[in-house]
Amino acid sequence: MHKKFLRWFLISLALLGASAWAQAPTQPAWVAQDTINAADTAWMMTSTALVLLMTLPGIALFYGGMVRRKSVINTMASIVAITALVSLLWFAVGYSIAFTPGNQWLGGDDRLWFTGLNYLKESGRVAVSHVAPNIPESVYAMFQLTFAIITAALVVGALVERMLFSAMLWFIGMWSIVVYAPIAHWVWEPGGWLAQMGALDFAGGSVVHINAGVTGLVCAYVLGPRKGYGKEAFEPFNLGLTMAGAGLLWVGWFGFNAGSAVASDGRAGLAMAVTHMAASAGAMTWMISEWILRGKPSLLGLCSGLVAGLVAITPAAGYVTPQSALLIGAVAGVACYWGATGLKRWLNADDSLDVFGVHGIGGIVGSLMTGLLASHTISGVDGHVGLQLIGVVAVVGYSAVMTAALLWLTKVIVGLRASDAAEVLGLDISQHREKMGT
Amino acid sequence: MLPSEKLAIAAHLHVLLRRKTGRVTDTEWMASNADYAAEIVRFAKASAQKDGHADLAEWAARLEGAMTATPPTAPLAKRLFSAAEPAQTGAPAAPGEAALAQGNAPSRYIRGIR
Repeated sequence: MHKKFLRWFLISLALLGASAWAQAPTQPAWVAQDTINAADTAWMMTSTALVLLMTLPGIALFYGGMVRRKSVINTMASIVAITALVSLLWFAVGYSIAFTPGNQWLGGDDRLWFTGLNYLKESGRVAVSHVAPNIPESVYAMFQLTFAIITAALVVGALVERMLFSAMLWFIGMWSIVVYAPIAHWVWEPGGWLAQMGALDFAGGSVVHINAGVTGLVCAYVLGPRKGYGKEAFEPFNLGLTMAGAGLLWVGWFGFNAGSAVASDGRAGLAMAVTHMAASAGAMTWMISEWILRGKPSLLGLCSGLVAGLVAITPAAGYVTPQSALLIGAVAGVACYWGATGLKRWLNADDSLDVFGVHGIGGIVGSLMTGLLASHTISGVDGHVGLQLIGVVAVVGYSAVMTAALLWLTKVIVGLRASDAAEVLGLDISQHREKMGT
Repeated sequence: MLPSEKLAIAAHLHVLLRRKTGRVTDTEWMASNADYAAEIVRFAKASAQKDGHADLAEWAARLEGAMTATPPTAPLAKRLFSAAEPAQTGAPAAPGEAALAQGNAPSRYIRGIR
């Protein structure tokens, strides 16, 4: 009787395992069209559009408003060019090496040139990713593409007003493949070493923000400061544009974080709520810090604070309660204010628009606090500060070393900086033969 | 020389350069940034010498004179000090506030935008 029960138990377990495997593929697969969840698909397509909106025109306006009048067009052109360039590279290489099973360091070559991302009408089949089995893989690949785009676009804030446009394209192109895609694989593909270790990053605290922040800081050191930095006042072109960009970032971030649930479910709803609370808390604490220390609250401070809160909640969005989100946003507002002022002076780098101060510091704060505040009841997993720290250190180290190497390579290929005369004249005219209107 | 006078010279030179050489310049930046103004003066003088535009050389010289003239404003240290003084309302003034109010390049944007 005992043996009979044991045999029945083992067979049941094997069938259950096979069934679970069939429901949750471990690699991209074909499924019947009617197994696709229409609501999830609609939400993911909407989220994809929202995240692209964060870059175009969100980041373009946010950064374009902060640089001097003579370099606004160059800044905006950089964002547009990066969007196109990273899209093509993601299509050709990036998606496959980031989101297909390979080894724990890098994905495979199954999806190079988006091979196999098809929809077969006659047989009623569609390709799905093992990471998102309820939506077409084409939608998931596009959703992830918008993350690759915005991460690269964020870096522009550190290199504005002095880097050759051609050098920027060479560097960002190589960086997208050599730095972004592998880190995305480590963290988000289930076979990646940080994913297997249990490091939590819901929507890109390390993959997007720490990565972009560290890259920006290394760029600032390698490029050197703009002419006149520390002596002349670099007056922003139009902070109204920056505010419009910040507004688009706030709205678009709902797609960024709630979309990272890859479903239109309760977790996505919670992610949206915590995103909004953290942004609000970040804006308030930055504003209060500035009011106390500088005597006046600035519009740029409010915009920066809300972005700080959004950055910090990014890794935590699907893991924490709204109360925890409030704390994360509040801490990030103060920490990033310090990052963009006191720490910036100490680092002594012309990280022109504070990519490290806001995204790097915000990402680190958010990643560590995720380990501290992740709720088992929300996500079914527990956070661990030590694991989060390992993730942070790994991303910081890899991003810094590879960025320095790629900048060296770019310098060998086309050079890095515009000439002194071109910089003084302004990159709008010297790089694009265009000028901002009055 | 007043900023408005510098701007008038820069605007005149801007038009001349556009007509005679096709070069497009930033008028406001020319009137406020010494490095940029010096580069434009160099270019204008070179073009004038090469193509024989006497009026171009004359206005380049005017701009050069205007940019090297001592400004009537107080020394930088004094301006910075006065900008940091508390406002009449009792609230502490932000650095560069006075400069901001006057429409000058504010010291608050030196070494960082935030």
